[in-house]
Amino acid sequence: MNMNTSENVLKGTRILVGKPGLDGHDIGAKIIALALRNAGAEVIYTGLRRSPEQIARVAVDEGVNAIGLSILSGSHKELVPDVMERLRAAGLGGVAVFVGGTIPLEDQPYLKEVGVTDIFTADMPLADVVSSIARTLA
Amino acid sequence: MSLEPLNRYALGQKLTQLASADPLTFVQDGAGLDHSGARRVALTGAPGAGKSSLLAQLVGLRSQTGNRLGILAIDPSSPKNGGAILGDRIRMDDLEENDNIYIRSLGSRTAGDGLADNLYEMMNTMDEHHFDEVFVETVGVGQVGYGARELVDTVVLVVIPESGDMVQAMKSGISEMADIIVVNKADLPGARKMLNDINHIASVNPSCSDDNSWVTPVMLVSNKSPDYVAELSRNIDAHQAFIAGQQTGRARKVARARYRLQQVVDQQLAKLISQTSDEFFAAPLNRQVSTILAQLHDFQTIQTGDTS
Repeated sequence: MNMNTSENVLKGTRILVGKPGLDGHDIGAKIIALALRNAGAEVIYTGLRRSPEQIARVAVDEGVNAIGLSILSGSHKELVPDVMERLRAAGLGGVAVFVGGTIPLEDQPYLKEVGVTDIFTADMPLADVVSSIARTLA
Repeated sequence: MSLEPLNRYALGQKLTQLASADPLTFVQDGAGLDHSGARRVALTGAPGAGKSSLLAQLVGLRSQTGNRLGILAIDPSSPKNGGAILGDRIRMDDLEENDNIYIRSLGSRTAGDGLADNLYEMMNTMDEHHFDEVFVETVGVGQVGYGARELVDTVVLVVIPESGDMVQAMKSGISEMADIIVVNKADLPGARKMLNDINHIASVNPSCSDDNSWVTPVMLVSNKSPDYVAELSRNIDAHQAFIAGQQTGRARKVARARYRLQQVVDQQLAKLISQTSDEFFAAPLNRQVSTILAQLHDFQTIQTGDTS
């Protein structure tokens, strides 16, 4: 068998990578999208400056297994609960949500409280990010 | 107009399930020929030809009738790890607020013809959700795939000036395969020359309709002018009216069923071949072939993935 090596731990999964809010820096989101793609995931990238409502709509239409939110604007404490609430209302309360970007340590417990599965910061190796998501989706 | 509201959640989940489904489960369901449903239009053409942007404009225009419109946008999956970046919908964000429009991104998975694995079943699922029209954006393969020809009613080929598309167009026999040809980015130099060249080629090639009675329109399009998109929309309507008048519905369904059978067998063969060990190739080629065919014959073997 030459399948199911560690290279494609995310094969068959569909992951939305979204950028809610107003910051215009998406190189981090694009790098994560590529890393997930290289691990075998189908990555739906929403582009910049999407509202929580738009992100929830795309997640429903695309039938995703997980959602990654990249937020650098500092508005994570407003945007993340808004996205979570809309996902729950749309029937996607069970879909794992990950948050990446500039998230101060002291805000992380609050994000987990509102339902975020894991939080990734810029200094985290990409391989760790991929394996955390793979563990959650396994 | 559609009566019950679109269940986006159910549709989204079903298409995700179908994307990864083993085609043999469809075989066991005994699914037969598909039923009549949405009008089906494909946009095909090389990467960078502007398919997504054009499709967004076209669907935006056609949504004004209040019809329920679906988009299945296919991007290539990595043959190495199966992963894909699905980014066509970034160019369609104007459509996202519209409750009558549904956009779905698909990885091609193992399909090599510009379409996606199990697209036949996905199109039927769109019919079950009462779409009036479904638009398929193929992978940019440069040549019009046989699959799109079989699965949809109207194939729109999008080319751009000065791209080398002309040679591709000649290779694939464009007017055999496309019902409408669009020279996109008409504001670029060379657009009109390209239009003339394609018209000449199209006059040599036979038409894609059985009795040669459909004359493939060749037209300029630019996102700088909405008039062009309106003309494309009218050409699509004209082609849909043409095939409705041809009464070849039965033949089309058989062609689709034939394509689907080919796709299911192709997928199974690809799976079996990918599971072979290195030692397998020590056998002579005819033995390799007969071994694989024997495995294909044995559904039980395929389903357990046991190739020992």
